[in-house]
Amino acid sequence: MTFLEQIKSDFNLYTAQASDDHFSRLRKEAFAAFEQLGIPTTQLEEWKYSNLRSVQQGNFTTSCVSNLDADSLIKAGVLNTIESNKLVFVNGCLFPELSVWLETDERIKICSLAQARKDFSSIFDAHFGKYINFSKDGLLALNTALMSDGAFVFVPEGAALKHPLMITNITDANEHALFQQPRNLIIIEKNASASIIENYMAVGAYTSFTNVVNEIFVGENASLEHYKVQRAAGNTYHTNYTQLHQLANTNINQVTLTLDGQWVRNNLHFFMNGENCNSLLYGLYIPDGKQFVDNHSRVDHAKPNCFSDEKYKGILKDEATAVFNGKIVVHEDAQKTNAYQRNQNILLSNTATINTKPQLEIFADDVKCTHGATIGQLDEEPMFYLRSRGISEQEARRLLLNAFADDIAEKIKIPELVAILESEIERKL
Amino acid sequence: MISITNLQASIEGKSILNGINLEIKPGEVHAIMGPNGAGKSTLSSVLAGRSDYDITGGNVTFLGKNLLELSPEDRAREGLFLAFQYPVEIPGVSSTNFLKTAINEKRKYHGLEPMEATDFLKFMRSKMEEMEMDKSLTSRSLNEGFSGGEKKRNEVFQMAMLEPKFCIMDETDSGLDIDALRLVSAGVNKLRNSERSFLVITHYQRLLDYIVPDFVHVLYKGRIVKSGDASLAKELEVKGYDWIKQEVEAAV
Ligand SMILES: Nc1ncnc2c1ncn2[C@@H]1O[C@H](COP(=O)(O)OP(=O)(O)OP(=O)(O)O)[C@@H](O)[C@H]1O
Ligand SMILES: [Mg+2]
Repeated sequence: MTFLEQIKSDFNLYTAQASDDHFSRLRKEAFAAFEQLGIPTTQLEEWKYSNLRSVQQGNFTTSCVSNLDADSLIKAGVLNTIESNKLVFVNGCLFPELSVWLETDERIKICSLAQARKDFSSIFDAHFGKYINFSKDGLLALNTALMSDGAFVFVPEGAALKHPLMITNITDANEHALFQQPRNLIIIEKNASASIIENYMAVGAYTSFTNVVNEIFVGENASLEHYKVQRAAGNTYHTNYTQLHQLANTNINQVTLTLDGQWVRNNLHFFMNGENCNSLLYGLYIPDGKQFVDNHSRVDHAKPNCFSDEKYKGILKDEATAVFNGKIVVHEDAQKTNAYQRNQNILLSNTATINTKPQLEIFADDVKCTHGATIGQLDEEPMFYLRSRGISEQEARRLLLNAFADDIAEKIKIPELVAILESEIERKL
Repeated sequence: MISITNLQASIEGKSILNGINLEIKPGEVHAIMGPNGAGKSTLSSVLAGRSDYDITGGNVTFLGKNLLELSPEDRAREGLFLAFQYPVEIPGVSSTNFLKTAINEKRKYHGLEPMEATDFLKFMRSKMEEMEMDKSLTSRSLNEGFSGGEKKRNEVFQMAMLEPKFCIMDETDSGLDIDALRLVSAGVNKLRNSERSFLVITHYQRLLDYIVPDFVHVLYKGRIVKSGDASLAKELEVKGYDWIKQEVEAAV
């Protein structure tokens, strides 16, 4: 079976047993959209550099069966050192044995999405599918039509997560090629706050394709720390669409760390639908070998007086390829917008490639926006300065690359995550 | 200490050092003066191992070793130190971490154990007091946002920390206020001993009132065209370089 035939047959299986409710109608609509749109190809401007053809030709299993036990999962890297609430998914299904729950506030609801649809159906229905628009994005449509399981996070009005929540997704491609579509729904209500880490790991030699969708709602005066740590090494294809919908006076600090993975495409979309929002988007990617990393982002300033700051930095080695495409859209109403965007890259080899495209679309007149991109080698001057003090070339390079990454590292409020980042930089040298 | 014979260097095909001869013995302080563009910084860069220059002739022996064959880091570990004319700012690299790394790499090179963290901090504190360094400077990123004078003082502080055998100071006095000049000179004089040598590049006699040199050389068009004792600097202060330039042109 081809990939598309597989998808079709999976969807037929789903509709055969689905009851006729709002949820299934949405999925049918999404599937119809997917049939129109298909898997994105390089013909599309936004996918010019991001080729998914080999995924289209793949022969994947979509069941989440895995022989991994709890011990091997822990070994595979569930980031045990971080004291946090935990949800662990293997090949798209919840692995309940590894769940950790540290909160005492019983109003906070964290569980699998499938569970939430049963137990918290009114909250689920009020938010699910409300913030994304799958009519123009084949992968968003495909995820909505045929999602695996994922995390449901509900932090109600005035509540605060005392510990971070870590959502780990482990790909087990030991037995066969795998296709999974994690789907997370995160709701932070008015005056609430949370810190969430998405952690992607992989084991096994077969190919895997992971198509994630995150829908995140942040209510008035609420705040969110959101980290995405991509360490799914191996023959992995990973696409991710994260939609953040924020209301007035919200603060969001989002950090995307792309460390491992053969092929990664992150789509990050902030929609600021209220005044006085603060949105911080930071990212670091350090691809080597033949890795491909694409960070697409879009920040919509829909209301006045909001601030957004985006900074993505890349260190590229060997024959790695990276793409940065950042769009800031300032709507007609969004006067007094402050929006900043930078993309900075260091190429450590002649065979590494970066395509960077910062974009501004401004429809308001009283705004402050800047953007810019740089591509270069490690500077000679600091290098010589350090070496002239007796520091080896290798050590000097390490100091300078850590300094380059430091800008991003300092936005991470979880020290164990910073340590992981530093050791990854070390390893990549 | 160091013996430079007929050293020639060029950059992008343009010849800048045209046969430098200089012999510096342990404990000696040599001053180099000379008009802008004469090649003073080029000489110090070539000695420190900057790779932009092509060495087209001559050789340099440093403590019995062929200096020109050593990497910049090995030159430093052997005891050469260059206080830069324009120290670079390195955001994100902490001054303290930088100094610790530099000291421990040097120790490793000489087969010594790394310095314990507490010993290092004690050592750094004592040197900071000795050099009258402001504490806040070492808690910041290396040279980042330092004023011109602070950068120069930081160079001398690093020199004190790394305890080199041969110190090249490229216009360390320019940009210093009068008090800072006195502090820096006092710092250098504290480091002066019968083992340690200095090559002090300067435009101003004023510095040499504080750091009294054993020899003064004039560098012009990539050559040392005149040498003398400390009184030569005083003479230059009064007469400028024209008479030397004329002597050189006349000899050609
Ligand atoms: N990277 C370079 N490319 C081209 N020319 C250079 C380069 N570096 C130095 N030069 C030239 O070499 C000559 C000597 O420069 P150098 O910096 O050594 O002079 P200096 O004696 O230190 O002058 P100053 O007193 O102004 O510091 C100058 O003419 C300068 O323009
Ligand atoms: Mg100079």
